[in-house]
Amino acid sequence: MAQSNDYVMERKPKEKKPETPSKIKVSNWRQFKAIIRKDIVMEMRTKEMITSMGLYALLVLVIYYIALSQAGQGFDFTRIAAGLLFLAIIFTSLLGLNRSLVHEQDQGCLEALLLAPIDRPIIFLGKAVGNFIFLCIVEVFIVPIFYFLFLGGGALAQSGPWWMLVVAILVGSVGIAGAGTLMATMSVNTRGKDFILAVMFVPVMFPLLLIIVTAMTSVIVANPGYVASFWQQIAGAVVFDVVMVGVGYVLYDFVLGA
Amino acid sequence: MGKQIKIAITLVIVGGLLTTAAFLMAFYTAEVQTFGFATLNKAVDTVYPLAPANMQPTDGSINYQRPGFAQKIFYFHVPIAEASFLVFTIAGIFAVLFLRKRRKSYDTKSRIAMETALIFVIATMLTGDIWTRASWGVWWEWEPRLTTYLIMMLLMIAYFVLRNSIEDEERRATYSAVFAIVAWIDAPISFFITRLIPSTHPIVFKSGMAPSILIPFIIAQVGMLMIGYAIFVLRVGEEDLRTRLDISKEALEG
Repeated sequence: MAQSNDYVMERKPKEKKPETPSKIKVSNWRQFKAIIRKDIVMEMRTKEMITSMGLYALLVLVIYYIALSQAGQGFDFTRIAAGLLFLAIIFTSLLGLNRSLVHEQDQGCLEALLLAPIDRPIIFLGKAVGNFIFLCIVEVFIVPIFYFLFLGGGALAQSGPWWMLVVAILVGSVGIAGAGTLMATMSVNTRGKDFILAVMFVPVMFPLLLIIVTAMTSVIVANPGYVASFWQQIAGAVVFDVVMVGVGYVLYDFVLGA
Repeated sequence: MGKQIKIAITLVIVGGLLTTAAFLMAFYTAEVQTFGFATLNKAVDTVYPLAPANMQPTDGSINYQRPGFAQKIFYFHVPIAEASFLVFTIAGIFAVLFLRKRRKSYDTKSRIAMETALIFVIATMLTGDIWTRASWGVWWEWEPRLTTYLIMMLLMIAYFVLRNSIEDEERRATYSAVFAIVAWIDAPISFFITRLIPSTHPIVFKSGMAPSILIPFIIAQVGMLMIGYAIFVLRVGEEDLRTRLDISKEALEG
């Protein structure tokens, strides 16, 4: 093929949506639900993602004990608890995100989704919400285990209400699922796969993690005036989430079209 | 194309002369700031004396006197850092243009702008590190500006790692454009964070500057931008020649 210096890369022609008669037109909401249901059904049959993520997270927690076993008596664990928890969550989610997109790729499901008359942003939202649900399920397991292993015995007696911690974890998980889905879709098509995902995902997530961990630590330590600073941090994290999900929503079309 | 290259070469020379002039002015004509303070949250291993008792903050942190000489790096560090933000933004703009128009040249320009930005980022890190050691007594401090800037550097490195791991040309161009846009989100965060969160990093332009400081600063800034633009244009020209060479090779062989 002769190449010139500058040329327009042919974009595969966008499949024209077939003109469906209006009575069988499927609404966006139903398409969205179908994608999520597909993911959940597949997970219920294989149980692969939940078990691997859960086991991996548990192993990370066990390794934490090695680091903490030499910390000594005067060590204030509450100040690093939120950071350690999110460290486990971020590595676990890397594993899960990669899995969820590798499945799609291996079994040709992504192509099938592209052939179906579904808007690409709907696919993004479906996959992202699916990933969010799985991440939440894993968190339901590992957060209590983390609490029992490291924070039992009244370590949290002084801290603020627990639902604030739940809010922080949920806001963090939305960002992880949104940006992670976009980047995992890119990384499954590269040579490095999970390595590339880690290289892209960790720096992009860094500001969000920093904000969330700061917010959670302020609740755990509960210095005077922590409520106001907590909501300030959460507001910043929500802005980051909205930007990331918005960028994913807009750019997913290009990623799938390539 | 040849004319543009000539302009670029001229700009390299002029930019070099301007930054050299700013260098000399910084040492000879700029007002000397003999006294400055650095506040750190912990006692650090530093050769600099403690600030006088009436200048010590009450919140338990410690003020050190810093030598006025270290301030001279301001005339290089700040222009390079601002150029790095600007060139990074240009890389983002070309990425958006590529996604809209899908021309190969936009992809090439976005990549080259990213390369140029990475050079400036590394130069900023090096000059900043020298200053941090001289002024704060440490090589690295995890404070908001330094942290977000380090993340920006990691994002740029990730951009090239991503590019190198994709074979298909169209897919490589699209993915790297998408990632350039995602990565660019960190630039405004890093730029404005010192204004939002209390930070040890000094904020320039918050208070006015004396003309003897402002003039060499502006000269250095203009010089750096010229050098940045020239690197960009020369690299685009080189890339262009390479493609033409490949095409001729292919034609001869085939």
